Amino acid sequence: MSSLFGASVQRVEDDRLVRGHGAYLDDLGHDALVAAFVRSPFAHARILDIDVSAALEVDGLVAIYTYEDLPGRIADPLPLLIPHPSLTHGRTPYPLAKDEVNHVGEAVAMVIARDRYLAEDAADRIDVSYEPLPPVVGLDAARAAEHLVHADVPGNRAGNEVQEHGDAAAAVAAAPHVLELDFEIERSASTPLEGRGVLASWDPQAGRMLIWTSTQTSTGVRAAVAAKLGLALADVDVITPDVGGGFGVKIMHPWPEEVLVPWAAQLLGQPVKFTEDRREHFIASAHERAQQHHVRVGFDDEGRILGLDVRFWHDNGAYIPYGLIVPIVTSTQLLGPYKPGAYRVEFDSLYTNTVIVTPYRGAGRPQGAFVMERTMDAIAAELGLDRTVVRERNFIQPGEMPYDQGLIFQDGRPLIYDSGDYPALLAQLKDLIGWDKFADFAEEARSQGRRVGIGLACYVEGTGVGPYEGGHVVVETSGKVKVATGLTTQGQGHHTVLAQVVADELGVRLEDVEVVTGDTRRFGYAVGTFASRTAVMSGSAVALAARKARAKALRVAAEAMEASADDLEIVDGVVRVKGDPAGGIALGTVAVLSNPLRYAFDDAAQAATQFAGGGDLNKPPIAEDDEPGIEGRGYFSPVRSTFAAGMHAAIVETDPDTAEVTILRYCVVHDCGRLINPRIVEGQIHGGVAQGVGGALYERMAYDDEGQLVNASFMDFLMPYVSEVPPHIEIGHLETPSPLNPLGIKGAGEAGVIPGAAVLAAAIEDAEGIPITSMPLSPSDLFALRRTRETES
Amino acid sequence: MKISGTATLHAPPGQVWMALNDPAVLARTIPGCEDLEATGPDSYRLTITTGVASIQGTYTGEVSLTDQQEPTSSRLAVNLAGAPGTLHATVLALLVPSANGSTEVTYAADAIPDGMIASVGQRLLASTMKQLASDFFASVDDILVAVPERVGADEAPSTGPPPGVRAGGAAGVSSPTSVPMRRASGMTTELPTDDRQPAGRTLARPHTGSFLEGALAGAAATLAGTYMARLLRRRSR
Repeated sequence: MSSLFGASVQRVEDDRLVRGHGAYLDDLGHDALVAAFVRSPFAHARILDIDVSAALEVDGLVAIYTYEDLPGRIADPLPLLIPHPSLTHGRTPYPLAKDEVNHVGEAVAMVIARDRYLAEDAADRIDVSYEPLPPVVGLDAARAAEHLVHADVPGNRAGNEVQEHGDAAAAVAAAPHVLELDFEIERSASTPLEGRGVLASWDPQAGRMLIWTSTQTSTGVRAAVAAKLGLALADVDVITPDVGGGFGVKIMHPWPEEVLVPWAAQLLGQPVKFTEDRREHFIASAHERAQQHHVRVGFDDEGRILGLDVRFWHDNGAYIPYGLIVPIVTSTQLLGPYKPGAYRVEFDSLYTNTVIVTPYRGAGRPQGAFVMERTMDAIAAELGLDRTVVRERNFIQPGEMPYDQGLIFQDGRPLIYDSGDYPALLAQLKDLIGWDKFADFAEEARSQGRRVGIGLACYVEGTGVGPYEGGHVVVETSGKVKVATGLTTQGQGHHTVLAQVVADELGVRLEDVEVVTGDTRRFGYAVGTFASRTAVMSGSAVALAARKARAKALRVAAEAMEASADDLEIVDGVVRVKGDPAGGIALGTVAVLSNPLRYAFDDAAQAATQFAGGGDLNKPPIAEDDEPGIEGRGYFSPVRSTFAAGMHAAIVETDPDTAEVTILRYCVVHDCGRLINPRIVEGQIHGGVAQGVGGALYERMAYDDEGQLVNASFMDFLMPYVSEVPPHIEIGHLETPSPLNPLGIKGAGEAGVIPGAAVLAAAIEDAEGIPITSMPLSPSDLFALRRTRETES
Repeated sequence: MKISGTATLHAPPGQVWMALNDPAVLARTIPGCEDLEATGPDSYRLTITTGVASIQGTYTGEVSLTDQQEPTSSRLAVNLAGAPGTLHATVLALLVPSANGSTEVTYAADAIPDGMIASVGQRLLASTMKQLASDFFASVDDILVAVPERVGADEAPSTGPPPGVRAGGAAGVSSPTSVPMRRASGMTTELPTDDRQPAGRTLARPHTGSFLEGALAGAAATLAGTYMARLLRRRSR
């Protein structure tokens, strides 16, 4: 139908960004007062006293706030964003610690000063006396519950959830083969290039608050700040400037700073800004991933899973403002493309005296994929079957779609896969990596003293979760098209893909479409950017809005051209009779005609003025059921998520001496429904694979027993460079359109990261012959595993 | 907002009382005092300028003393207004005789800030108030110990610095904010090099020099005290 949908057009954002013309949070508000925070140096402690007297000598100090200063609802704990019946002991932090701190980095006092240097100087001079309490660090300590994070939360258990489809215990007990397996994943974090930041400006004359924040949800921050400050929603606007990455951590809101900075701006009557530094991002934002899993799986001689019983423990950190979303995602998405005969999953979400946990790209799916795929490999090893064969035998078949897994997903709706063709994906992957020819390559390598291994891993990802997104499209009299959607963008190329959708729907050129995201002044109804949902949700919403604008344009043009709207088309911004490129009127002129004028503002506008003639003089200039302008507003609210899928395969080589892991090949096949822009999808996959490699081989949060994060800098936290990411990621696409949205698309944002740990563990296991059950795996870890094997044998 | 503290002044309550009721002393000792004028037997109009944090600015207002129980207690009502806001406070001050002819002054204030002053945070404001009080009593003490008769009252005058030392020390720190920071209760015993310590516990130095030598030594001791105070603060962080 179209020329732009599906085309790898160049990103419209890049020209501005690579020239340094981007405006990130810290590029704004140069005249603003600046906030710095005194943060807890202890993982668990009572606050005995806060002495600010030494800070007074700092010239340029404006204000110092502690918990006692917080008024009204700001003094309440921050919201529990996603309540759940299983979240029986939800605890959220105060914006500034009250009496007790529960992780290193928790904010204790806010300092406002003329600039950041002075604010930091003053913060340094604030003397907080603590009485240290025993910290609970790591899942072992949380499960043992010898000490409690929150005195009123027994067993450190925030919540416990069980989901079951069939009688898994009975199915396992009756199965010919049973395996019991344990798997563990450590903490990592989103670590966007740009940390968090917020700037607030209070207009005392108008009584309005304007906030810029580096967020994944401007409408979420707006609602939260309005509620906290007791302001009408209409009196608060939130603008998302350029955002240097989010990866999930910025969907969390409101951060303490997002409440405190606007409050201080209102109190002091001056703009106030906070920009997070890197150490703060490590110790005061959010982490994810840490989980321990115990699996009981029963299967038949063919490798078909008859019963799967999974028990796992999720480390949610000191507080749980984002609710149980991550473990719920693990517990449901663990199933991947498979259909076990019966499935039971139970998890505990446990408090620890460490940084809070909120979704990080993948959001519980990497853990789920790791558990499921490692289990598949264990079954194959047990039965002596090819790993792809075991998977094939457990796949949901295309003819079984839509497939109901019998569980409740993270959006509170049934876990029903809408479409997908898993056998086709696997066939494509085997072909791409040369699965069947690997044995020869391995044999040859072995003869040269090299150790190589191959692995694969599959996943299914629920994307485009609701409840809804909206979009607005307006044609200006210049012919330019302005598009607004409420959700935000963090570098994904949303402005490009949404423009592609609108340009196609409307029939205009790509360069005539401009997209605005995350600005509540332009579009106030939105949810946010997470769960690979922008293309599905806002893509569909702006398509619906563009269709309305198009219908209006055709109707107005039909009147002017004395033609039937059905006979008209819009091509390159010109409304014309179908197949007749000669005549027609420009869309901008149609916009002029759609808005009856008394006053002309330029030559074109004269055509719409009252003495210009035209129109039925016995009818009102705008009909009762009509509106001026060529505009459309559309909302998309799907019945449930759409399920993308993919499979990764990797070939690795391990150094016999140093145990270093080198990725020789990395192949991705995936299905995100119809592709709007293959280049952008591939970019998403590249970035995701890089984060997957990081999570598998390098990144971990090194907490010591006292709860100190000892690698809280980019010197010590190993993020993969281009030198560690495979130089050529081989990608194959499969397109099974989603029936759940007008464009047939599925999300792609998280696809690349999900099976990273699983596929690399499988390949390393294949190369080494040692079971890999815990990730990340450093060369030292692998070396230790080799030593253990040597001593055991 | 409640603020309280204590200060040790090195003179008996009677002398302290007189100093605290002497407009000439008050004009010299109230931090940032630019103008002080008696408007009645126990009331003053004053103008002060303070340079602390965002509450810096010039304030004018009145102070009146009530419930005068010479020489043991007095109640002050303070009403100040300036560009950053207003401050209304009532202060109860108690004078209790202490060791070595000293006086322990205990004060408890209930302050109601308004405007910008109320926006800077309770702890900042309370700390500022306490520091100003501390500076005030330190300055009053400087004057008290500088009075020659005080030396004669000391049990071991030869072990303490001569009057000139103290005067020199005070002269060497003309602005109130550069007086060694002596905040919170028991402030005068915090600093080992403080030249206002009771004679028996101060730096034992033979009294041999002239006024000039004494003045230099006093200035040096004051500087050392300031340095030590900063050092101690840094370490405590």
